[in-house]
Amino acid sequence: MALTPEVVAELMRIVGPGGLVLTAEGRMVYECDMHTFYKGAPDAVVLPARTEQVQEIVRMCRAAHVPIVPRGSGTGLIGGAMAPHGGVMVGMNRMAAVLEVDLPNRTATVQPGLINLWLSNAVREPGWFFAPDPSSQMVSSIGGNVSTNAGGPHCLKYGITTNHVLGLEMVTGSGDLVRLGGKTVDRPGYDLTGIAVGSEGTFGLVTAVTVRLTHLPEAVKTALASFRTVVDASETVSAIIASGMIPAALEMLDEAIIKAINAGTGAGYPEGAGAVLLIELDGPRAEVEVQAERAAAICRQRGALSVSVARDDAERALLWKGRKEAAGAVGRLTASYLLQDAVVPRSRLPQIMREMVAIGERYGLLIANVFHAGDGNLHPMICYDDRRPEELERAKEANEELLRACIALGGSVTGEHGNGLDKGKNLPLQYADADLNFMYRLRGVFDPDRMMNPGKLLPSHPACGEGFRPQRPVLPAGTWV
Amino acid sequence: MSVTTRALADALMSIVGAAAVREHPGGELVGADGRAPQVAVRPRDLGEAARVVAFAHDEKLTVVPRGAGRAQTLGFVPGRVDVVLDLGDLDAIVEHNPEDMTATVQAGVTGGALAARLAAHRQALPLDPPGWGSRTMGGIAATAASGPLRTRYGTMRDLLLGVRFIQADGVLTWGGARVVKSVTGYDIPKLLVGSLGTLAVLGELTVRLHPLPEAEATSLVALANFDAAQELIARLVDSTLQPSRLELLDAAALVASSLPRAAAAIIVSFGSVEAAVRAQQAAVTAEASRMRTRPETMGPGFWRTYDRMLAETGTTRLAISTLSSRVGATATEAAAALAGTPGVVMTAAAALGVVRIAIGGGDTAALAAAIERLRGFVAGDGGSLVIERGPAALRARIDPWGSVPAPSLHLMRALKQEFDPERTLNPGRFVAGL
Repeated sequence: MALTPEVVAELMRIVGPGGLVLTAEGRMVYECDMHTFYKGAPDAVVLPARTEQVQEIVRMCRAAHVPIVPRGSGTGLIGGAMAPHGGVMVGMNRMAAVLEVDLPNRTATVQPGLINLWLSNAVREPGWFFAPDPSSQMVSSIGGNVSTNAGGPHCLKYGITTNHVLGLEMVTGSGDLVRLGGKTVDRPGYDLTGIAVGSEGTFGLVTAVTVRLTHLPEAVKTALASFRTVVDASETVSAIIASGMIPAALEMLDEAIIKAINAGTGAGYPEGAGAVLLIELDGPRAEVEVQAERAAAICRQRGALSVSVARDDAERALLWKGRKEAAGAVGRLTASYLLQDAVVPRSRLPQIMREMVAIGERYGLLIANVFHAGDGNLHPMICYDDRRPEELERAKEANEELLRACIALGGSVTGEHGNGLDKGKNLPLQYADADLNFMYRLRGVFDPDRMMNPGKLLPSHPACGEGFRPQRPVLPAGTWV
Repeated sequence: MSVTTRALADALMSIVGAAAVREHPGGELVGADGRAPQVAVRPRDLGEAARVVAFAHDEKLTVVPRGAGRAQTLGFVPGRVDVVLDLGDLDAIVEHNPEDMTATVQAGVTGGALAARLAAHRQALPLDPPGWGSRTMGGIAATAASGPLRTRYGTMRDLLLGVRFIQADGVLTWGGARVVKSVTGYDIPKLLVGSLGTLAVLGELTVRLHPLPEAEATSLVALANFDAAQELIARLVDSTLQPSRLELLDAAALVASSLPRAAAAIIVSFGSVEAAVRAQQAAVTAEASRMRTRPETMGPGFWRTYDRMLAETGTTRLAISTLSSRVGATATEAAAALAGTPGVVMTAAAALGVVRIAIGGGDTAALAAAIERLRGFVAGDGGSLVIERGPAALRARIDPWGSVPAPSLHLMRALKQEFDPERTLNPGRFVAGL
């Protein structure tokens, strides 16, 4: 749909010519996030600088029945910050200030466009950090993290974004400015902050975020162990957790990734290793020393080919080097891949890894893995040659089969990337009609006109439509008063 | 016995059987507000519970879900109670997956029963609201009740992964996941934690577990006043220590816990490997010596004694939420506001800014005035004060929740209207009479 001249004029009035992108070339930059399958350019992009402008934009679009799509840094992986139905995209990049840091109360209040890592950088010197650390943290925005309830390698110990968000300022789909939660805990009433985190812009536009800061640990210790097979490594993950420790991070790389990394800068992983486990412990020094020794001992007992424990920061950085370069190294394996984000119960890792190998063989596709083993959050990369359309089709089928296998083991459709356009359709694997319908109605409370980020998060499904009635319990005949 | 009650009981018996229905239940099923329900129903499974709710919904009756009955005087005095839905028989631990560190329990499972089952695997659900051993998981979730351990582990909000619930019209629904990490769909568990059964009846909960620490130690630091306590709190919060609990006690709380007399004290515990526990305790000793005081090590049974003290003290209980940096000042203000009130015992989860005040009695008007004063005191910092327990007269005189800002309240009303338009579930008790 094209915007009417009146709407364009209003946008121009609200944000000024410097805050409005209307040209086709300009808008094309915004047509997708990092999941480039899903493309949809907005009819206009507005870049507000203040909360009042955001509210004006929402009210005006609502009155004109124009869809609104929020966007942070556009680093999402789910077809989120793109406009399948056109409309107005609201880029939050100009609202990137740190509004307040309150160290005695361990909080910071920031605007949504602030880059995740910048917040940690701003508070690191006095000894603090913002715990959620998605791999994109150098470029992704805190508003985007809140929107998708982002995770990261260290959420095994520290929890995901929602565990660190204390309050939100938000313009709802009704155009109301609400301040939810804040620096004090236990506000009376429903936990609106909790339900809004992870709502992917379908409830409204977040204009400020109050987060909990975490004290930097006294000590950090990183160990790396290599194993013959990914199943050996998976069993070791369970053994480490069962021994009573919760590492800060517990990451796994499989053979394909190891080869790709070794072929590049060379993190020096042992040739012939079928899996590498990266174990990071942090906390009080005495705890970290003991637990690192124990973790290393468990790896050896489980037949690790090699175990090394970093002695200093430089060695630690070296052990992480390969992990951090993994996504880039995949480029040596394949031109294109599909990235999966499903979760299995940790104890089912050996099983799903076996199944994954079988699926790869069945479809004749390479599946490379680098993932958050500690919480069972898989990130298989299903490699294909994009010059062969039939290979992409096969990759899609393999991806779906893998997802269904994860759910069959009691898992979840998405662990940390979010739903967007990509995963929304898979929700019926995990949720029954009544569950989906509940979510659909919840969305309507915040966005009665269903103008906020339409098409995202929930599937196109009968249960996600007006008038759907889930199955009610059947009462015995003749039950009456 | 009224005809209506008779007919109602008959109808419910056809759903759950005669043994599970009690007409005009007395005793403990009568709330402290004297609002006797017409019937109490004790379903044996979730399906039965859902049918009871569906029936009540269609007959325009009100349903009050009930766990251990520890929060019966939380909130406004209810206008009408037709059916008490007693979830005590939904007491199955459905699943414990030690390797995944998750468990799925029915709403009526008590903290004690779950702890006993998990301890065999050296695991725990680290939630310890006062009297946690006999409280139910559903009750703890519905009231978002918390205790000292939230300092390290958070609350049910942080530990609830998935929830099976009964909507107001009886539809059984599931939200969340059974794994420790999931962002699929909306975070429905967050909506229901702390909702006091006003949007849905919680039926089954999947929770994240933690390993039991292999060693634990607790230090008590006696202090001259709340200002000194605040100074020590600030030092401990701004440190690399990882306390499991960080409690502030006033003089009365020390007496009630059979501890040495002092104007105030900080009690801090650590759980980790032996060496780390000792090292962190030594760090507390070093901080205390800078304040010219020496910590005392508490015995292993201390936290049981403390829990009993918290659970048993006070006919009225207030929970004040303020900033961590204002805990000492808030306690000082509370002592002044409540001067002359009998049996005032103050404690706080200091790192979170949660101050608990137990009160032994006192004149309703004076208590209401003190509550107003304290609400005013914390309002500037965004704080709040909730009457967690108290006589009906007090809760009739003063809003037990305090005011909720209009734009937020608008959304809360819309949620209630969407999910319980007939006002079947616990009507009238929650914020603003939701």
